[in-house]
Amino acid sequence: MSSTKRYWKDLGELHQQPEAIKGRENEFPQDLAIDQVLGDASFNGASTGRRDFLKFLGFGLGAATLAACETPVIKSIPYVNKPEDITPGVANWYASTFYDGEDFASILVKTREGRPIHIKGNPRFGLNRNPALPKGSINARINSSVLSLYDNERLHGPMKKGAEGMAASTWAEADKSIAAGLDAAAGKRMVVLTGTLASPSSAAALEQLKAKYPTLELVQYDTISYSGVTNANLKSFGKRVFPSYDLTKADVVVSVDADFLSSWGNTTESTWQYASRRQPGKGMNRHFQFEARMSLSGANADVRVPLKVSELPKAVMALHAHISGSGSGADAAMMKATESAAKALMASKGRSVVVAGSNNEGVQVLVNSINSILGNYGSTIDIDRPSTLHQGNDAEVARLVEGMNSGAVGALLIAGVNPAYSLPNADQFKAGLAKVPLTVSFSGYADETASLCGWICPDNHYLESWNDFMPKAGHYTLGQPVISPLFDTRQWQESLLRWSGSSVAYYDLIRSTWQQGMAQYGGLAEMFTNTWNQAVHDGVYEPAGIPAGVNTAVFAADVSAATAMATASTTGAGEFELALYTTEAIGSGRHANNPWLQEMPDPLTKITWDNYVCMAPADIERMGLNMYLGEQAPASLVTVKAGEREITLPVVPTPGQRTGTVAIALGYGRGANGEKVGRAACTTDHIGDFVPVGKNAYPMTSWVNGAVGYEALNVTVTATGDTYPVAITQTHLTDMDRHSVVKETNLATFLTGDKKAYNHAHELGVHEDVNGDGVINALDKKPVAEFDLWEEHPVEGVGHRWGLSIDLNGCIGCGACITACNSENNISVVGKDEVRRSREMHWLRLDRYYSSATTKESAKEDGLGKIDMYLKMEVPEESPTVVFMPVMCQHCNHAPCETVCPVAATTHSNEGLNQMTYNRCIGTRYCANNCPYKVRRFNWFNYVSEKFGEVNPAWDDLGRMVLNPDVTVRSRGVIEKCSMCVQSIQAGKLAAKKAGTPVQDGAIETACSSACGTGAIVFGDLNDKKSKVLGLATSDRSYHMLEEIGVKPNVNYLVKVRNTEEAAAHHA
Amino acid sequence: MHSEAAIREPLILGHKTYHDITSDIVSPIENKAPRGWYILFTIAALIAAYGTGCILYLISKGIGVWGLNKTVDWAWDITNFVWWVGIGHAGTLISAVLLLFRQKWRMAINRSAEAMTIFAVIMAATFPGIHMGRIWMAYWVFPLPNQFGSLWVNFNSPLLWDVFAISTYFSVSLVFWYIGLIPDFATIRDRVTKPGMKKMYSLLSFGWTGNAKAWTRFEEVSLVLAGIATPLVFSVHSVVSMDFATSIIPGWHTTIFPPYFVSGAVFSGFAMVQTLLLIMRKVMKLESYITIKHIEYMNIVIIVTGSIVGVAYITELFISWYSGVEYESYAFINRATGPYWWAYWSMMTCNVISPQLFWVRSWRRHLGFTFFMSIIVNIGMWFERFVIIVTSLHRDYLPSSWNMFHPTWVDVGVFLGTIGIFFTLYLLFARFFPVLALNEVKSILKTSGESYKKQAADHSHH
Repeated sequence: MSSTKRYWKDLGELHQQPEAIKGRENEFPQDLAIDQVLGDASFNGASTGRRDFLKFLGFGLGAATLAACETPVIKSIPYVNKPEDITPGVANWYASTFYDGEDFASILVKTREGRPIHIKGNPRFGLNRNPALPKGSINARINSSVLSLYDNERLHGPMKKGAEGMAASTWAEADKSIAAGLDAAAGKRMVVLTGTLASPSSAAALEQLKAKYPTLELVQYDTISYSGVTNANLKSFGKRVFPSYDLTKADVVVSVDADFLSSWGNTTESTWQYASRRQPGKGMNRHFQFEARMSLSGANADVRVPLKVSELPKAVMALHAHISGSGSGADAAMMKATESAAKALMASKGRSVVVAGSNNEGVQVLVNSINSILGNYGSTIDIDRPSTLHQGNDAEVARLVEGMNSGAVGALLIAGVNPAYSLPNADQFKAGLAKVPLTVSFSGYADETASLCGWICPDNHYLESWNDFMPKAGHYTLGQPVISPLFDTRQWQESLLRWSGSSVAYYDLIRSTWQQGMAQYGGLAEMFTNTWNQAVHDGVYEPAGIPAGVNTAVFAADVSAATAMATASTTGAGEFELALYTTEAIGSGRHANNPWLQEMPDPLTKITWDNYVCMAPADIERMGLNMYLGEQAPASLVTVKAGEREITLPVVPTPGQRTGTVAIALGYGRGANGEKVGRAACTTDHIGDFVPVGKNAYPMTSWVNGAVGYEALNVTVTATGDTYPVAITQTHLTDMDRHSVVKETNLATFLTGDKKAYNHAHELGVHEDVNGDGVINALDKKPVAEFDLWEEHPVEGVGHRWGLSIDLNGCIGCGACITACNSENNISVVGKDEVRRSREMHWLRLDRYYSSATTKESAKEDGLGKIDMYLKMEVPEESPTVVFMPVMCQHCNHAPCETVCPVAATTHSNEGLNQMTYNRCIGTRYCANNCPYKVRRFNWFNYVSEKFGEVNPAWDDLGRMVLNPDVTVRSRGVIEKCSMCVQSIQAGKLAAKKAGTPVQDGAIETACSSACGTGAIVFGDLNDKKSKVLGLATSDRSYHMLEEIGVKPNVNYLVKVRNTEEAAAHHA
Repeated sequence: MHSEAAIREPLILGHKTYHDITSDIVSPIENKAPRGWYILFTIAALIAAYGTGCILYLISKGIGVWGLNKTVDWAWDITNFVWWVGIGHAGTLISAVLLLFRQKWRMAINRSAEAMTIFAVIMAATFPGIHMGRIWMAYWVFPLPNQFGSLWVNFNSPLLWDVFAISTYFSVSLVFWYIGLIPDFATIRDRVTKPGMKKMYSLLSFGWTGNAKAWTRFEEVSLVLAGIATPLVFSVHSVVSMDFATSIIPGWHTTIFPPYFVSGAVFSGFAMVQTLLLIMRKVMKLESYITIKHIEYMNIVIIVTGSIVGVAYITELFISWYSGVEYESYAFINRATGPYWWAYWSMMTCNVISPQLFWVRSWRRHLGFTFFMSIIVNIGMWFERFVIIVTSLHRDYLPSSWNMFHPTWVDVGVFLGTIGIFFTLYLLFARFFPVLALNEVKSILKTSGESYKKQAADHSHH
């Protein structure tokens, strides 16, 4: 019997509904994707045969295997436990102190992920702090010093002199051997030769070694000597000190050859003090400068009198005669030259200062006498709380050299100085060095001196070291390490402690020194840790309760003896007189291995990568030497001979140089005998050979009255007939009387308050009755700012509009902004040959203009034709005035560069920035051509690699650690330019956003504005009604460079005002 | 058939028949090339190879191998670009504008002039390419859809207009030239016997049959293309001039530039046509077709355009004084008296003074003198662009940035190289392509041929 039972799944099936039947046939109710693919009719004809299958399989396997081989392995090791205070991507700033025997500054070091990458002045504490801004003043050498940390040519460990020169050794061996050497030398004279120490704990470490070896003595040697000054103070006041100055109190500054804005004294202090009194107004100081070479100070002076080197002491005598009222014996011409300065000084007794750059004790005694008569001690000059930064004693150095040669010295330990390079009698020093049984250098490099020593026990870089300083009585600063030592180096104080047998670490010694010191100021021992932590945090400790200087010092030197001594330096009979100086970039030569500094153009001559003979254009013309220098126009070589000493260098026309004088910069020619003094100390010449940068001019110095003299009065200059290419960034000298580029006026005109008299807006004639006189004529004009060809970018009054204001009065031309910009924005160093071709990459440059005797008005008066007028305008006057003008991208709101880029690689941001998108740039350079300010820079080569790496430590693996990770490193073939530090703007905006507040004025700084200790560069938001930058931009002195072309920059300049007595301004 | 006034000089000399014309033009292609051709070709090819090497070196090392600097960011590169574009203009003017104006004398010269245009434009287009810092990104100048978001080219930039202008110009010129070549290729195809040659010219002639319908279409297409090409004669160099005219650099920012550049272009183009044709008519024995009259006509064009250029120079000077703009006035004084005075006065001598010598009839009909002048004019026009570009840039607004430009061997090598490539291409053209529009020339034989004119004159006397 067949079963009639029916099995069903659902009611639809039971009732035999058509849908259900259909559904039953189709097991999968929805079409599978594969059916669609397989159902494609076009596949019907296709066949994948066995062979094809194997081909595909083989290819697939092969491709996968190859891809696997090429996978790069990137080692990225994250923190297992994240350090509390390090967040990747967020910078940490540490307070520290820079002191190299030359420059002193309290600094802040920016570190990223543990790497120091940028240095700026400490805006809260320190002698170099300008409290009015507040900002820490530094110079280019200081902010560039971060790069030298990563110089791979620093010694990687101790070195021992063997039969075949220096060989690597170990600390254990060094300690053992040196300790034995010291023991052997016990009883004989043992000398530690250093620069000025100014460090209480270093002195304490020395004391520890001295306890073991009582014959040990400290000789301090300043590479650039101030012995003349300190000796004069010993004679005048019974104290062998260098006074500290307060230029904020000086209404009149008279400097005789003291370049206090660049090299003389504590410049990080004097620059901001000076600049604070350069604000035009009633309180503006008046600055007189007497000098042979146009120095940075001279370039800033209101009255600059070029004098021969031999006339400078006479000028001091004449000033003394004027001030003291005893005119006997003073030179009549000098009496006249110094008359106005003396008059100004007499009118500002107690509110003035006279400084002299001479190292002649007699001259300095006379200066002390002048200041004493003027009553400046106690106000502008402090002798009771002197600067401790210049303690070097040339007489002791001379005695040391004698002792070394006579065999009296048993051991010589050298720290921080390079006498074999910088002493006038370096040969004697070297000869003596060979006779000393134990010679140890603490130099970080196998430099001129270290390479001659028995041992090199390399010191840490200062950014790897703990240290303390007392730059002035009652003012203490701490140097704190911001990175562990990169190499197997050891701080030299640490070495002293080891050899003294002490087991105390130098850090602990500093702490205990401070603890004792603070007790002296009444600090409580139990509070010490707090105070110490605060001091480490601030970098500076200024105990309360230290009485200000009472200045009881009474001048008590023999003026007539001093006059006689000074007179010895006035007997110039030669054809030429030579002055030796140090440049803003290189200083005494300690930093000659720093490529940022080598490539920083000299503020006045605009020459990079060389030293040279500065000569007056009139002398150059007379001698028939090359006047115009450029890419294909090399300088003439001359030999400068002073007695037995001679040097051959290119000669450069320097307007303002006194005729009959020449000047040569010290600090060059490092590593001339192949010593490894740092990667950038040598450069490639125009044919690609390695040559030292410049020549060493220290052999031209001499011993005068027991101190090093930096002049020679009987000098001959002879042309060799050869030429030498120089790398110069600005070949043109004058501003061609272009009023819309540089505007300047004098104080009297400024004080009239009539803006039109000194800052006249450019106007265009219009066809409407503007002046309301009923007729439309040429008198109807409107300021150019009211015209606009284009639609405005919607940046005014909307959101932020970033801008810079640059005060031509505040800018002293030091160039710290240039190197700060280099460091912040990863700007390539391109080397001498590329700079010679005018291809330096600086985003920020410092334009220098000399005044010309010919102006448009004078040409009209003289009836000169236009062609003659322009030709004459190209020539600076014999004693010109100087304008420094920092120029970076002006961030035009109608940017000519933006319209011409075919691929829109440069665009305007809604915050007023002119942005450069490197990735989009194809390198047509049209933007650079169309930039009226010529601020755009092109990557002509792959500057990151090839020959440029050889002069630039930043381009090896170690050097790359200095790069700012927030800024792209640009490749070949793209344009770059100032971004107004957009990375800092972005960071500042984010910080404000996190804090939930608007961006505070002053919270964001660009690299240049934060490096500018004089406050000449101010950054801010022009849409912020209360911002400082808006106040400046709308002030009477504000103008836009090239206003009439209507590009509407976001950068404005403030008219330069000189405190001169002339009735009419040079540029009315 | 047209009849032509007897006083007009004949455009085809001697007793030529249609067959003579064909064999005169085609035989150089059929026969072995003369020794001179091989010598010239070897020299040109060597220079071309050297130039190509320089270009490759430039691309591998970076633009820094040129002498440019932070102030002068363009120099020989864009000078050469404008110079080559300018040279191209004569070809288009001859083939298009003179066609529209029914100037029969153009028929003897238009083919080679157009070839010159094509090759000159290729050379010109090389420079904007290789002057880029990142030539491998050169395609970004085209408005291509891309994956960079909504990233587009900048239509405000004259450089972008250049891209459109040059590419349009090149394509239209190429098509125009090629269309004209088709019947002539067919003629060659029908004559040659070597199978390889036959195959090649068959392909090149696009199956031309020569029936009446084809000729009608040919005429129509020529006319239409002439209509399209004519505005290009004026637009291309106007656009090129806007690279400068729309900028703000004193010496560049000048509204006079478009007409000034166009006339300068025609001026230099005709000079280059003279240079090439004077050699070619001698070497290829085309004296019957490229007559003294042709040379004279072209010299007249040179006087006219040269005078326009001269007036433009003087107008610029006048305006620089009259405007009272300090920078503008200085820019021109600097051109004439500054460090590059020699470039300015070379330009003035070559372009303004020398063409005026053609007012003397015997001089403008003198072959040697014409050849010499054609070289002078091209040197002058190169200097004109150099003066505009380099002397304006080297001293612009801020004296702090004033600088000099010094060329390097690569600058020189690349320029020479383009001349080498140009002549290589031209020599290949002369060897394998009909250098005269032979079918067009035939069309004027009976009206402008010397023997026919004589016959006609004899008839009319009877």
